[in-house]
Amino acid sequence: MKELSANELGKRVLQLIISLFILLCVTFVIGRVMPADPVGAVVGELADPAAYAAMRTRLGLDLPLYQQFFIYLASLLQGDFGTAILTGNPVSKDLAQAFPATFELATLAVIISTFIGVPLGLAAALFRDSWIDKTARVVALVGHSIPVFWFGIVGLVIFYAGLNWVGGPGRVDVYYEGIVTPRTGLMLVDSLLEGEPEIFWNALSHIILPAIILAYAAMAYITRMTRSFTLEQLNQDYVIAARAKGVGPANTVIGHVLPNIAVQLITVLAISYGNLLEGAVVTEIVFSWPGIGQYMTNALMIGDMNAILAATIIVGFIFMFLNFAADIAYALLDPRTREATQ
Amino acid sequence: MKPFRKELFVGAAISFLALTASAAFAETPKDQLVIGTSLAQVLSLDPQQATEGKANEIMCNLYDRLVLATPEGKIAPQLAESWAIDDKGITFKLREAAFASGNPVTSRDVVFSLTRLLKMNQAAAANLKRVGYNADNVEKLVTAPDEHTVRIDLSGEVTPELLLYRLAMVTTSIVDSIEVEKHVKDNDYGNAWLRTNSAGSGPFTLNRWTPNEIVILDVNKDYVGGEPKMRRVVVRHVPESQVERLMLERGDIDIASALSASDLATFQNKQGFKIQRIPTGGFYVLSMNAGNQYLANPKVREAIAYGIDYAGIEKTIMGPYGRVRTVPVPENYEYAIPSPDWHLDIEKAKSLLAEAGFKDGFSLSLKTIAQTPRIDLATAIQASFAQIGIKVNIQQGNGSEIIAAHRARDFDLLIPQTGAYMPNVLGSMEQFSSNPDNSKEANNAGNFVWRSAWDIPELTKLTAKASLEPDAKKRGDIYVEMQKMFVDLKPAVLPLFERYEPIVQNARVQNYIGHPNMTTRLEGVTKAETE
Repeated sequence: MKELSANELGKRVLQLIISLFILLCVTFVIGRVMPADPVGAVVGELADPAAYAAMRTRLGLDLPLYQQFFIYLASLLQGDFGTAILTGNPVSKDLAQAFPATFELATLAVIISTFIGVPLGLAAALFRDSWIDKTARVVALVGHSIPVFWFGIVGLVIFYAGLNWVGGPGRVDVYYEGIVTPRTGLMLVDSLLEGEPEIFWNALSHIILPAIILAYAAMAYITRMTRSFTLEQLNQDYVIAARAKGVGPANTVIGHVLPNIAVQLITVLAISYGNLLEGAVVTEIVFSWPGIGQYMTNALMIGDMNAILAATIIVGFIFMFLNFAADIAYALLDPRTREATQ
Repeated sequence: MKPFRKELFVGAAISFLALTASAAFAETPKDQLVIGTSLAQVLSLDPQQATEGKANEIMCNLYDRLVLATPEGKIAPQLAESWAIDDKGITFKLREAAFASGNPVTSRDVVFSLTRLLKMNQAAAANLKRVGYNADNVEKLVTAPDEHTVRIDLSGEVTPELLLYRLAMVTTSIVDSIEVEKHVKDNDYGNAWLRTNSAGSGPFTLNRWTPNEIVILDVNKDYVGGEPKMRRVVVRHVPESQVERLMLERGDIDIASALSASDLATFQNKQGFKIQRIPTGGFYVLSMNAGNQYLANPKVREAIAYGIDYAGIEKTIMGPYGRVRTVPVPENYEYAIPSPDWHLDIEKAKSLLAEAGFKDGFSLSLKTIAQTPRIDLATAIQASFAQIGIKVNIQQGNGSEIIAAHRARDFDLLIPQTGAYMPNVLGSMEQFSSNPDNSKEANNAGNFVWRSAWDIPELTKLTAKASLEPDAKKRGDIYVEMQKMFVDLKPAVLPLFERYEPIVQNARVQNYIGHPNMTTRLEGVTKAETE
């Protein structure tokens, strides 16, 4: 395993920056060749050519592509993401509003998927080829192959419209909207801070279904990976020795296997978390969830480049950062690495 | 490959639940009106900027105008208590009213608002500019003799009666000049601020607008017409029709618009719900690019008019969305002529194509927004055109893509939709019958006919003449002549179906009267106790 030197760390950071830059370039080019017409979106369908041209100039769209890119890059380096066409707000303000919604959803989803996926994967490996294993594999396969969109709608039909167990689309019931002042942007937290337990429960009933649906796909991945890591460990001498000494299956797993696969699991969970933050798009559309996924989709629809770029960079950054953090954690925590550096 | 039919699965799930589950229904508070719809097109709530229908529905409750058009199409007073018409113009007397800020509504605000509209010169100004009002002459033509009197002189291109209809549009809403002037930045007429705030005298004020998420209106307790019953109006963006349907069924929203035809159908005769089919005076249209080598030929356009299965499409696709009509004037308007005898006639269409010299047919592309019912309409047209020898390649896109292609004349065939701004022939037909300069250089992308490169100097003249004719009877004669000429020219902007906006409402909601111009006022809306 690699040794984590300052040099290595520097290299990783550089890699991160380069990746982000490439992501930025690609998104910029794709965004600019898209046939959407942001100017038309702002001035309206019936605007005359003078108004249209004036807005085009105001948005800087009459400049050559490379110049637009450099202008964008220059303002980006000053921490300015530009103004969103759709909202007229600075993009950073919009993102600060949309991100907590996605963050809340993805965080709950990662918690759910971890608490179900890891034990399920462990059990499946431990009782290999038993009914538990087969069930776990089927569950994982289903989670992997069914479209989230369909899952979402059916979930709403059954648990919201039919059984009335959960709240509907949106973060709270519509008539509760606008009552809680956003402090952290996290509805569950803000409603408690405002002393509105009723709204807290309402928000919880709204988030639970999209979180479970989002968690399901991630859980499938976590289960599969946990199972295979565990199987690998179960064949190791130390486990065989422990079992020979009469240690029960549960104790073997908790006391011996789990600590050994913990580091690998951290990587898997970090990747899943990144995927969840990034992959909430469809879930957010189905559940009218005002997060970053919905924000990006709307921006794409009208070709609102500043919004698209900023959202892509943020999501890309989080995804890469989580990978990066997982790698670092791996290097720091892996016992073998530790021994090598001591 | 057949597309994945999620509706089938969802339908099955719903049926299963109908049999097995007994749901307890939520309900919205009695003093809040909750509307589910698509807010995707709302980009501004500045009345002198936004023109989109959904934005109009919201803004017409934040602002008053001098006059309003009733759902039946009559002009009625709003901020103007009365008005007197003379040869040169109209003199309005204002009623005693106040803005939500507490500032009184004065003639200064009226002049400010109309000037603002024309000086900002965005799409919203198009309707006044079309009849001769512009940024250069507005200050001369719109004046304030005293605090409660407003004088609007005629431009010479419109009669007073028709001008009143233009003054009933949301774009001429009266804004609070004192409030707006406080927020002017870089000569933007306060636009940046007014996009997301309100400064009106209407029954509601804007509490919050988050694009593509939510609009919250608060009651204006001091509204001159008396405090509305609804304390709040919440408009929620629900982009998925099926989800919206579930929310309405569950009682989480009171009114649903933007439902797909199949979701709408489930509320037919369903207890506890009412469907309103609101006429718009507008149309679903087949635009043909007359710049195209084939479509330039009137015989080809006539063949196309005979190549569409209007009756079949009306029955299977349009349903609550429209009814067959191939003249751009709703059938029940005064002076409307009957539709010409265009119906699906394969043989006739083929022979017309042969006469035009295209016996073996040709290929065209058809662009459309991927939205109910337009996308299904495109598929049906593709199928019947195949029978007459025109191969159609459908290209779907989102709103801004398709509108951009339309504006740039970058299409062969395209399916747009229109609306009418007043309930008479001119109000619905004007955009189909006027194209002052068809040259490419004119770049008049705001003009509906120009986009189809359809040159109609005679019809344009006739339209202008109608706009200036003060005698109602004579104007009616011109209206008839305009429609006949339109049909004779074999239009490159072919109206197919009169357009309706269907909405479904919970039966508890009372006095919600859908307005043809999407200016439904909510001050009279009440909610009954649950039965």
